[in-house]
Amino acid sequence: MIMENENFEEKLIQMTKPEITQLSHQDILEKAISKAGGKAVLSWWWLLIPLYIIFTLLMKSVYMPGNTLVSNIDSLKAGQKITAIVFFLIVPFAIIILNITSIRKVYLITGHPNSLNFLEEIWLNVMMIFISVLIFIVYFL
Amino acid sequence: MKLNWFKKAGILYLPNSAMGWLITFACLVCAIYNFIAIDRLSHSVSDTLINFVFRLLIIFAVYTLFGYLTSSDTKE
Repeated sequence: MIMENENFEEKLIQMTKPEITQLSHQDILEKAISKAGGKAVLSWWWLLIPLYIIFTLLMKSVYMPGNTLVSNIDSLKAGQKITAIVFFLIVPFAIIILNITSIRKVYLITGHPNSLNFLEEIWLNVMMIFISVLIFIVYFL
Repeated sequence: MKLNWFKKAGILYLPNSAMGWLITFACLVCAIYNFIAIDRLSHSVSDTLINFVFRLLIIFAVYTLFGYLTSSDTKE
């Protein structure tokens, strides 16, 4: 009888002190960081296409005399207008928007975090934005 | 309804269901078809490779887009 009462008392104490083992905010943050990582991976594969084009044009300028990267980019713009516009303008622009939105989402959910911790989570997204800007610069050389 | 056709593994999306495997197989067939078509028209090995790598990157980018849109949101 005494044991039963003690067990009952313990159960009552547990019921009055609910334990939250995981915050829903943590779940939301994990999902946001995971999505940001996915967007960075997606951005990387799409940015490889213009980077590859730039690399081949650069090699062409190195191995063929009289060619420069700027002249090769100009001839690409003249000869392959759609390819140049899609891979040098539309894709990098879309990737910048995509990554900025995910960085903003992570920033808002974490609630103005310490800059080092925040950078650790979003450095890939920042790198993708940086590469996209570089591609814009090369296109407008 | 969350689709779980692919799962993220580093910088790749791996198929996680029958539909995922179907898409992967379709991309593989597309890549092989492109390789044969480019090789038929090219003049040298480097000509083939330069043109094929470009097409392969596009196929991979589209595959990654499928993977991103149809993978679950859980962290690895």
